[in-house]
Amino acid sequence: MRETELQEVNEVAVKAAQSLGVDDAVAMTARGSSRMIRFANNSVTTINYLDETELTVYLAKDKKRTIASTSDMGAESVKKFVKDLFDTAKGLSPSEYVPLPTKATKHAPSPLGYDKRLEDAGEELPALAKRAISASTSAGAKRAAGVIDAGTVEYAILASNGTSGTDRRSSIELNIRSFAEKDASGHGLSCSSSLAGLDPEEAGTRAGHDAKRMEEASEPEAGKYSVLLSPTVASNLIEIVGSAASAFSVEAGLSYLTDKVGGKVASESFSLTDHGVVDGGLGGRVFDDEGVRTGSTAIVEKGTLKGYLHNLTTAKKWKTESTGNAGLVTPHPWNLEVSRGDSSYDEMVGEMKKGIVLTSNWYTRFKNYRTGEFSTVPRDGAYLVEDGKVVRPLKGMRAGDDLLRMLSSVRLMSSEREWIQWWEVDTPTLCPWVLVDGMTITRAYG
Amino acid sequence: MGTEQAKDMAELAVAKAREAGASYAEARVQKTWGRQFALKNGEPQPSFFSEGYGVGIRVIAGGALGFAATNDMKGSTVADVAGRAVKLAKASSQVLLKPVELDAPRAIKKKWAAPETQKVEDADASWLRGVLMEVDGRIADGKAGVKLPGRLLFLSASLEEKLFVNSDGTNVEGRHPRVNFFGSLTALEGSETVQRFIQQGETGGLEVVKRIRLVEKIEEEAKTMGKVLREAGKPPTDVVDVVLSPELSGIAAHESVGHPQEADRVLGREGAQAGESYLKADSLGMKIGSDAANVSDDPTLEHSNGFTPVDDEGVESRKRRLIKDGVINEFLHNRMTARQLGVSGNGASRAVSFDREPIIRMSNTFVEPGDYSTEELIKEVKHGVFFKSFTEWNIDDKRLNQRYVALEANLIEKGEVRGLLKAPVLEITTPKLWGSVKARSKHMEFEAATCGKGDPSQGAPVWTGGPETLLSGIRLGAR
Repeated sequence: MRETELQEVNEVAVKAAQSLGVDDAVAMTARGSSRMIRFANNSVTTINYLDETELTVYLAKDKKRTIASTSDMGAESVKKFVKDLFDTAKGLSPSEYVPLPTKATKHAPSPLGYDKRLEDAGEELPALAKRAISASTSAGAKRAAGVIDAGTVEYAILASNGTSGTDRRSSIELNIRSFAEKDASGHGLSCSSSLAGLDPEEAGTRAGHDAKRMEEASEPEAGKYSVLLSPTVASNLIEIVGSAASAFSVEAGLSYLTDKVGGKVASESFSLTDHGVVDGGLGGRVFDDEGVRTGSTAIVEKGTLKGYLHNLTTAKKWKTESTGNAGLVTPHPWNLEVSRGDSSYDEMVGEMKKGIVLTSNWYTRFKNYRTGEFSTVPRDGAYLVEDGKVVRPLKGMRAGDDLLRMLSSVRLMSSEREWIQWWEVDTPTLCPWVLVDGMTITRAYG
Repeated sequence: MGTEQAKDMAELAVAKAREAGASYAEARVQKTWGRQFALKNGEPQPSFFSEGYGVGIRVIAGGALGFAATNDMKGSTVADVAGRAVKLAKASSQVLLKPVELDAPRAIKKKWAAPETQKVEDADASWLRGVLMEVDGRIADGKAGVKLPGRLLFLSASLEEKLFVNSDGTNVEGRHPRVNFFGSLTALEGSETVQRFIQQGETGGLEVVKRIRLVEKIEEEAKTMGKVLREAGKPPTDVVDVVLSPELSGIAAHESVGHPQEADRVLGREGAQAGESYLKADSLGMKIGSDAANVSDDPTLEHSNGFTPVDDEGVESRKRRLIKDGVINEFLHNRMTARQLGVSGNGASRAVSFDREPIIRMSNTFVEPGDYSTEELIKEVKHGVFFKSFTEWNIDDKRLNQRYVALEANLIEKGEVRGLLKAPVLEITTPKLWGSVKARSKHMEFEAATCGKGDPSQGAPVWTGGPETLLSGIRLGAR
C-alpha cells in the first residue's frame, strides 16, 4: 500500500466522519514494513518479516473526543468503524477540547531520512549479522548475541480542516552484545537511516573488545564518583528528560521539570533540542498527529529550561502554541539532540580523579518522576578511573541520582556524538559522551 | 472473530509454508479488541478504542526459524507472507550453527474460553468513565487525607481471540477477556512528595472491578501515601530481619526467580536485550535458597492476569515449581529449549499479538504459601523492617543484583509492627535473598503486572504474588 492508497483510506474515514456531523476529524494511516534478524551464540535464532497497516481516527463532537485504531482497510469496514466510533463517543462526557486550526496545511514529505534500499532489505541481513559476529570474535569475544532491524514506514494524514500530507522514514539498527570468559560482556550499536550508514564491523569490534577487557572485572567501593556516560547510557537518561518536557507529564505529576520554565535545569554547556525531522535522525515526521507542522523545539538552552512540548490541547491550557509534538493525548519528542562539547574521550578520562566509565546500562527505574530520583543498572564495559587513568574493569554496581542534580553537574561533553536508538532507547537521540560529577554508586548486600 | 475465515487463513498459511519447503509451520490468527478510558486529575481524556486482526506465521526451513506477520487478511497476501517467512529462514541459514528443533509433537484439539460473568464487550465508554469517576471521587480534593495534585488513572477492557494451527495437527481456539487498571498518584505535603504506580487486573469480564475491590484499594493506597508523607522516619542502618509483603514477595519471585529460569535466557537467546541468566543449562538441582524458599509459576490459575491454559505453541500448560525447598527445580520452556535440554515443554511460550513471535514468558509467579499466620510471622521478628509496597526497583541482566525501594514500610520491634519508615532500600544478591528465607505466611495476595521482554518488545500480562516472607539477617541499602 503506497502513500496514495493510504490517503484514499483516510478520505473514506474523514468523509464518513463529516457525514455524521463531527466537529473535527483526523485520519492517519501508517504502513510499516520491517525485517529483523536475531542471533545468539554466534548463530541466527530467528528472522522476522512484518508488514502492517493501521488507520487511526480522531473524532470530536460537542467536546467529546475519541480515538480509535483498526487494521481493516476495506472501504465499507472503515465507514462502519467510523460510525461505531461516533456512536460510542455519545456515551462520553465532554473532555478538554481545542478545535483543529481553521487554516489547512499541506505537508510535503521530507527528503531526509529515507533510503529506498531499506524497503526490501531482508536477505542481506544474515550477511550483515555475520560481519558483526566476525568482528566481535576478532576483537576477543567468544560469542555474540544481537539483532539487526531494518524497515520503512509511510504515513498519510487527512483532517476535516483540509490539512493533508504524506511522509516516510527508514531506519536500520544493529545491537550486538559480546561475551568472553567469566560471562564478561561488551556492547556495540550502529544506527542509521540508510543501509550504507550501518557499520557492523565497528559495533562488533567495540562489543568484542569490551567483553575481553571485562574478563577480570570486580566490584567497586560504594560511594560518590565522577561518571563518564557513553552516548548509549546518556541517551537512556536524556530520553526521560524529553518525556518530562511533555506538558502532559507536567500536568499528570510525572515531571521533575514542573515549575522550572526559565530556570536552570542543567549545566551551562548542556542544551537539548527536539526535531520533527532531522538529517541523520531515525524517526519523526513533518506533521504531528493533529496535522500541525513539526519543527525544531529548544527544550533546554545553555542549561535553562525554555519550555514544554505541546499539542493543541496542552498549548491552549498553557497559553502558548503547539510545538508540533502531538500525540493526540500526550505530546512527545520525535528526535532528540544533545549539544556537543569540545572534549575528546581521552581528555575526559584524563580529567577524572576518581571516576567510572559506563558504556551501557539497562533497567532505569524511578522512585519518583516528580523529583526525578532514579537508579539504573550498568552492564557491559565499565571501568574504574583513578587520577586520569583507567585502572580496572568493574561489575556488580548500580548508579543512582536525580535528573536535576545530574544534569546540573555535567562537567564536560565530547565533541563527537552518536545517534542512539535501541532496546533501551525508544526516541532517537544524538548524544555525546557526558561527564557528570557526584553520581552515587551502590552495591548489593550479600 | 470470523472463525471460518480465520481457520481458512491459518490453514492456508501452514499449507503454503510447507509447499515452500518448511519442515514445520504454524499460524496464529489473532483478533484483539480494546476499550480504554483515562482521567487526568479528574478531567476526562479522549477515550481510546482499538481493533486488530492479523496472522503470525512461524516456520522452520533450512534448519532456521522464520516468522512473518501481516494484518492484510487477503488470501493472496497471507500466502505471500508465508512464502517470505520460508525464504528468509532459508537465507538466514548461512549464519546458522545448529539447526532449530522442537520437542516431540503432542497434537491437541482444544477450544477454551476464560470464565467471565459479564461480557467484556459490554465495557462501553460510559461504564469505563463511571468506574474511574468513582475512584477519583474517593481520592480527589484531599478526601483520602492527602493532596494528590497528580492523578492519572486508566481503565481498560480487552479481548484476545486466537486460533492456532500447526503442521503437527494441533488446533486450538481461545477467548481471553481482561480488565486492567493502571494509575499513577503523586501526593504532596509541604515540599515533600511521594509517588505510587498501581496496577490491578484480572482475566474476566466487568465483574473484575468489584472482585478486586478496585475503588476501595485505590482509596486505601491514597490514604497510605498521606501517612507516609507525614509520619515516615529514618530506616535502621544495622542488620535487621525483613518481612516482605505479598507485593514484595511477588516482585522478588518474578525478577530473581522467574526471569533467570526462563530457558531461553539460560541458553543465551535473549543475550542482546533482556540478558542471560546466572543459571546455566546444568544448574538444575543447585541449592540457591534456604529450605523454606519455594517459588512457582502457575498459568492455570483461574481469573489470573497470566492465565494461559494452552500456550502459543499449542502446548497445554501446567504449574512449574521453579525453586523447591531451596533447590533450582525446573526452567520455563518452549518447544525449542525443551528439545535442547532433553525435557518436555511446559507450555510457557506466549505472544502478545499476532505480529510477535511466541517467546518464553512467566504467567503468575509467586512465593508458595507457608504455614504461619501473618501475626505469627511478625511475632518471630525481634528487630526488623516490614516492606509493604515498593516504588523504584531494578535488577541486573543476569538476575543476581536487585533493588527494591519501599514506599510503605514499618519498623518491627519485639514482634510488634511500629511506625512508618521513609524509603528503606533492599539491595541484595539473589542467593542472599533466597538463602535468608526463614518462614512464609499462609496469607496470599497477587498483583497485576506487565512483564517486558523480547525484541520487538512484548509486554505480557502477569501476576506476581505470594505470602508474607520473612528474611533473616539483612543489611539495608541507601539511596
